Amino acid sequence: MALFVNNIVKKYGSYTAVDGLSFEMTSPGVFALLGTNGAGKTTSIRIILGMLAADSGSVKWDGKEFLAAEKPVGYLAEERGLYPKYKISDQLIYFLTLRGMTKANARQALDYWFDRLNVAEYRNKTAEQLSKGNQQKIQLIAALAPNPELIILDEPLSGLDPVNAELFKSVIREEIQKNKYIIMSSHQMTTIEEFCRDIVILNKGKSLLQGNLNEIKKSYGRVKLTVKADGDIRAMAEECGLTITEDTPNGTSFNVKSEEQAHKLLNMIITGKIPLIKYELREPTLNEIFIEKAGGTNEN
Amino acid sequence: MRTKGWQSVFRFTFIQHIKTKTFIIGTVIFGVILSAICVLTNILPVILGADEAIDGIISGSEGSYKDFANIFVIDETGLLTDDDFSSAKELGAVISKTDRGADELINELSVMETAEALVKITSVNNVNKELLGYSANIYYSEGSSAASAGSLSDFIYTLIDRRKMMDLGVSEEDYPKTLVYVNCTALKAGSKQVDIFTGMINYIVPLILPIILFVLIISYGQTVAQSIATEKTSRVMELLLVSVRPLAVVIGKVLAMGLVSFGQAILMSSICGISIAISAPFGIMGKMFSIIGNSEIMNSAGESAAMAGVSLEEIEMAKGLNDIFKNFTPLNIILVLVIFILGFLFFSLIAALVGASISRMEDLTAAMQPFMLFAVFGMYLSYFPVIFNADSLSDGVVTTNPVQVFSYYFPLSSPFALPGAILLGTLSPIQAIIASVVLAACVVLIAIVVSKVYEAIILHNGNRIKFGDILKMAARK
Repeated sequence: MALFVNNIVKKYGSYTAVDGLSFEMTSPGVFALLGTNGAGKTTSIRIILGMLAADSGSVKWDGKEFLAAEKPVGYLAEERGLYPKYKISDQLIYFLTLRGMTKANARQALDYWFDRLNVAEYRNKTAEQLSKGNQQKIQLIAALAPNPELIILDEPLSGLDPVNAELFKSVIREEIQKNKYIIMSSHQMTTIEEFCRDIVILNKGKSLLQGNLNEIKKSYGRVKLTVKADGDIRAMAEECGLTITEDTPNGTSFNVKSEEQAHKLLNMIITGKIPLIKYELREPTLNEIFIEKAGGTNEN
Repeated sequence: MRTKGWQSVFRFTFIQHIKTKTFIIGTVIFGVILSAICVLTNILPVILGADEAIDGIISGSEGSYKDFANIFVIDETGLLTDDDFSSAKELGAVISKTDRGADELINELSVMETAEALVKITSVNNVNKELLGYSANIYYSEGSSAASAGSLSDFIYTLIDRRKMMDLGVSEEDYPKTLVYVNCTALKAGSKQVDIFTGMINYIVPLILPIILFVLIISYGQTVAQSIATEKTSRVMELLLVSVRPLAVVIGKVLAMGLVSFGQAILMSSICGISIAISAPFGIMGKMFSIIGNSEIMNSAGESAAMAGVSLEEIEMAKGLNDIFKNFTPLNIILVLVIFILGFLFFSLIAALVGASISRMEDLTAAMQPFMLFAVFGMYLSYFPVIFNADSLSDGVVTTNPVQVFSYYFPLSSPFALPGAILLGTLSPIQAIIASVVLAACVVLIAIVVSKVYEAIILHNGNRIKFGDILKMAARK
């Protein structure tokens, strides 16, 4: 199994929503589709799902043209939608039978998922009687109950309280363990970082950066230094050629050009007998990479 | 397959719609009202004795000039002679000349509780003082009936006419021969002459049926638009489109709502039929059915009818009904059903496009306005020409004006105009089939436009897409 997205382009008049996006998922795992608002994530997802026709390029699953309506795909859309006046169980059975499940199989799958997401008590209620978080759970059920090979989660954790966010995360972990192919789009970078293996950062429809997240981070090297000491270290940092990027009660952060700069600062703190509380030299986080890439381009 | 999965959409839409309280309550209330109307229309004439009253008006037995205690005559022409008054008295009229003033007498009659009347006879002349005719005004008292006054009017007419003829030399014996009437009717070659009752049906049914069809077709067409707009604006559509193509959603929805509409029409027709059948033995319809079922009475206007206690008017009505039922052939019924379905598809597919063109529910009313204008225009096009056929009420002749003929072939109006025309036999089966083919061709055309542009507009968010833009989009594709 493998998903190949090859050079897809989508234009609306003179505006290019997606401009030559390509990526591939050749093994199970989580692929992150990142970008600022209006970067082209949702349009890309709709093209991958076959809801929108690309002006050029192709999406292939196992070497064949990919059409979500004909393949087992689970999709949690960014903008949630349920029939407000229909019973939850009725509409879920409808969604699942549309995915090709029999009613009996759908009911059996629902029994499991209602319990798994703690919403069994809502099965006979209407959507408008449910809280936003519970509606989100119902839609996650619609996406996962058919046991799809490919799952697309667009902002899966937005609007959830910490308890339900953790519940969603545990479900996503289970799906990863089941060797599912997952495409996730989110602005919550810590969540993405927690799950994803590969990423693409989009801006104005174009890919700014893409590849394996660990490799991307490694390519940056350990360039982020955070120090917390019981004394003023700013003069020492200046002497080492470091410029402060952030100064908070949790410490002072610097961008380092080479690890020697960081080691020099550490030596100076020790030599100066300043009590050291925290010293962290690390690779940049996904959030920092994202802001650097997408934010910088936006400023232009 | 762009339509794969439409069956699931169809099933879900149908079941969810008929489960709604609005549909259940609406159907029950509408059914009860319709049943009550059918039963009451059938049995009320019998309960109130209205059929006898109608017979009475026709035969003139309800009121008579003999009911007047006094009939005063002011004859300004001097036409009537003492002989005439004597003859009138012999016929039972309490009639006499008076010298009193008309105004004074009219004032008295206006408050009088006994049955009395004043007849004022004047002559009508042209500018050269040549006699053109006579005019008789009858003023009747508060205590008189209009029917008696009507009878007196006929009586005075005969009295004056008789005197006029005799003054011209017609003998007493020959006068009745001058009363033989002459009826002259202009008939367009090829058209058929029908009786007054059938003429009424031919006039009324094409007036009422378009309204009923409009309600059934357009209200459910609107439901299709609303349903698609709700799915689009509530983002359910995005969830559906993971599983099915947009065209499958449209087909499933339109057909489901079509079945609901069609089923409701059949249900209501059945309720009418059952209500009439159950109440038939107690009402006027029972009598009609028994007359229709008795060929001896149907074929005779004389003794058989009299012996069976059936009036000529009732036989005429039964014959009219029978003529209409003769048009309920299997071919005509199938044609009507096909036209209903085609009409529904025509308007619902357009409504589906309208529903898909909006991004916010509050835009739906504005977006539906052009659709409703087209639909209302179509309905009126099938409705108004019928009004101008009012002549058929008086002479019983079926007429069709050019606008009415146009409405049979024009797709906006044909779904409303054709069923009545087919069931009343105004259109021949061949004409009806041609009109149906024209409508079917338009449905196919609309379906092609929908299949081309629906997928493009269903995921469009932002400003409402105008109808012109949709057509341009279809042309580009």
